[in-house]
Amino acid sequence: MTDSAPMLDHGQFSKLFPFHFIVDADMRVIDTGSVLARVCPKIVPGALINDHFLLFRLASEPIKAFNRDFIARQENTLFVFKSTSTDLMLRCQVLILRDPERYLFLGSPWVRNPTELKALHLVLQDFALHDSTVDLLQLVQATSTSLHDAKQLSEKLEQRVADRTAELSMANAELSRVMRSKDDFLSAMSHELRTPLNAILGLSESLAEGVYGDMNTKQVKSINTIAESGHHLLALINDLLDIAKIGAGKMELELTKANVEDLCQASLRFVMEQAQKQKINLKLVMDNQSVMLTADERRLKQILVNLLSNAVKFTPNGGSVTLETKCDLESESLMFSVRDTGIGIATEDLKRLFSPFTQLDSKLSRQYAGTGLGLTLVMKLVELHGGSVAVESEIGKGSCFTVRIPCKGLDTLNQHNPSGTISLTEITPAETLPSNTPLILVADDNEINLMTVTDYLRANKLRVIQARDGLEAVKMVREHIPSLVLMDIQMPLMDGLDAIAHLRADDKHTDMPIIALTSRAMVGDRERCIAVGANDYLSKPVNMKQLVKTIRAHLPNDETL
Amino acid sequence: MHGMINKSIEDLVTIQFGADKWEAVKKKAGVTETAFVSNQSYPDAMTYGLVGAATEVLGLTADQVLYAFGEFWVTHTAFKGYGDMLMSAGRTIGEFLDYLPLFHTRVALIFPNLKPPRFECSDRHENGITLHYFSDRPGLSMVVVGMLNGISKLYKTPAVVTHTKFKDKGADHDEFLVNWGAADQK
Ligand code: HEM
Repeated sequence: MTDSAPMLDHGQFSKLFPFHFIVDADMRVIDTGSVLARVCPKIVPGALINDHFLLFRLASEPIKAFNRDFIARQENTLFVFKSTSTDLMLRCQVLILRDPERYLFLGSPWVRNPTELKALHLVLQDFALHDSTVDLLQLVQATSTSLHDAKQLSEKLEQRVADRTAELSMANAELSRVMRSKDDFLSAMSHELRTPLNAILGLSESLAEGVYGDMNTKQVKSINTIAESGHHLLALINDLLDIAKIGAGKMELELTKANVEDLCQASLRFVMEQAQKQKINLKLVMDNQSVMLTADERRLKQILVNLLSNAVKFTPNGGSVTLETKCDLESESLMFSVRDTGIGIATEDLKRLFSPFTQLDSKLSRQYAGTGLGLTLVMKLVELHGGSVAVESEIGKGSCFTVRIPCKGLDTLNQHNPSGTISLTEITPAETLPSNTPLILVADDNEINLMTVTDYLRANKLRVIQARDGLEAVKMVREHIPSLVLMDIQMPLMDGLDAIAHLRADDKHTDMPIIALTSRAMVGDRERCIAVGANDYLSKPVNMKQLVKTIRAHLPNDETL
Repeated sequence: MHGMINKSIEDLVTIQFGADKWEAVKKKAGVTETAFVSNQSYPDAMTYGLVGAATEVLGLTADQVLYAFGEFWVTHTAFKGYGDMLMSAGRTIGEFLDYLPLFHTRVALIFPNLKPPRFECSDRHENGITLHYFSDRPGLSMVVVGMLNGISKLYKTPAVVTHTKFKDKGADHDEFLVNWGAADQK
């Protein structure tokens, strides 16, 4: 054994263990490694090692007075020394040598990163090559650099996500701003377009009814033309607004259970007058008379009226237009077909049929007035209901438009009901109105509207007082205590909504009927009017008869009788 | 190649030429990484692609880019990450260069999947050393020259680096003569 162990001279030993030291039984230094001697120059032969090193024990106080017995007991543990003069910590293994008794400590500095190395004034060359301390330092360094990079990467990614999110929410905000301004524009346009129309329709109605005195036949004819054109324009504006509303996703269906026969009858009534003029035979054929359908009644009527008036429009005198309903149990849907004996549509034109502003023949468009929006609107309204539209047509023979509306639970409703052709009920004649003299306050900033409404109401034997803004309206109410207030919404100084709120805040006026009059046809306006306290709501241009009817409906009984 | 190298090219271009130039370089090289991570291995082609794109975007020759990169790596990137390590590798430029071969030996130990270059030293004397550079990767000798110049700056010891043997001209490796004595006497 001894023979095979290499004999090293002091220089060789020091090269392998540059941080070693040897002490005698009294703990006095016999020898130190070259680097230790440089780093701790006071540890020279003869010095007491306890003066220079504390024996470090984890989780307990450092041991100052270690001696040979202590060391002998701990021969198989790791010795960690801490220098009393520098930050140097040595991790060592002890070897007890005999004859003479000596203690050999072999080890190297305990460093956890290159910065500690620098603080100790050590260089990499101070470590023996077999000592893996430096390898570990390089590993630690590589790992921490990597960690640092990864942190940077995640910060960059986080920043990117934050940037994108900000961009997106900005785009969203911009989008909803644009949408809102589009809605505002639509709303404002509807006001702008309908206000003058209100005057045109209202005044021509008043004129035709002789409110301003008798007119000769020529004048009556002209006035009727004005009224017709006005109504046509109104229909066009309404279609445009509806299409825009659907486009903006603002069209919400008000689904209710509707009686299909009532719906069909009501729709046919719309075109009855025109059909009679053209001597067109109108028919309603139902395979089940008591069927109910969940749909937006107003919109469904809009669909049917659109198809029916198209059919009447394009059917020559003496022809026929049939509205037919069929329950399709298999697809759980209701089919509405509008069949005419009109001019028909060529196959190649069918495709273009549902795009806006398409009228198949410009000559026809002159002959048969139409907005070119009707079918687009029909299509969109049907889609909103989850249904579909189909068309069959033959030139010269006629067309058939079929609307399919889904209808859940159709079979349970399908009781034994006779099917067949139903005679159309007569349009209810307008009721004769009682003449009393309640006081009506009309608040409107538009002179023409004010005049039109006032004239019409007075012609209907109602007393009228006027206000031209919300403030004046509130003042007038306090002074005159009218029976009912007709309140325009868009007014200067104080708008109608505020004026209504003001009035309702006063105990004296909580029961006074208020009817809001507005050109705004946007969703939510009705709710806002009602929310501030209006009893009812009418969209301009108001049909004068409708207006009077509404007023009568809200007047206390004793005044109407 | 080790991510640190790509990251260093990124830092060089960003710090000395601007972030927009770096984006342009990345775009030209078809690199989509948001950032590089050291210790991660990226294809060598990406590094060569970045260098190639940098020459076009910055209007420099490949040698200029490689040299700048080498110097920058030592004075900035390595200094940030390995600064204490680099400065602990020797008290003088001579001691440092003696020790240089060990760095990549350890790189090879720590990252067995990498192919770090190998350095050897010979003819060490008081004012100079001969450095032998072995690498499987072609065309990077200008990086070594840049790095050696960076080291000379780090140790505040002016040095002259002479490329004496060229692998791309048939030698089996590149050889550099580093001489700091001559500069010292100026
Ligand atoms: C702290 C000191 C250093 C470390 C930790 C280090 C580490 C590395 C690493 C990880 C690589 C990438 C290897 C691969 O991806 O395959 C590399 C490449 C390289 N290193 Fe170092 N290096 C150090 C110092 C130096 C110095 C001082 C020089 C030159 C004087 C140098 C010259 C090079 C060269 C030229 C390459 C390019 C790759 C090649 O030639 O194949 N390195 N180094």
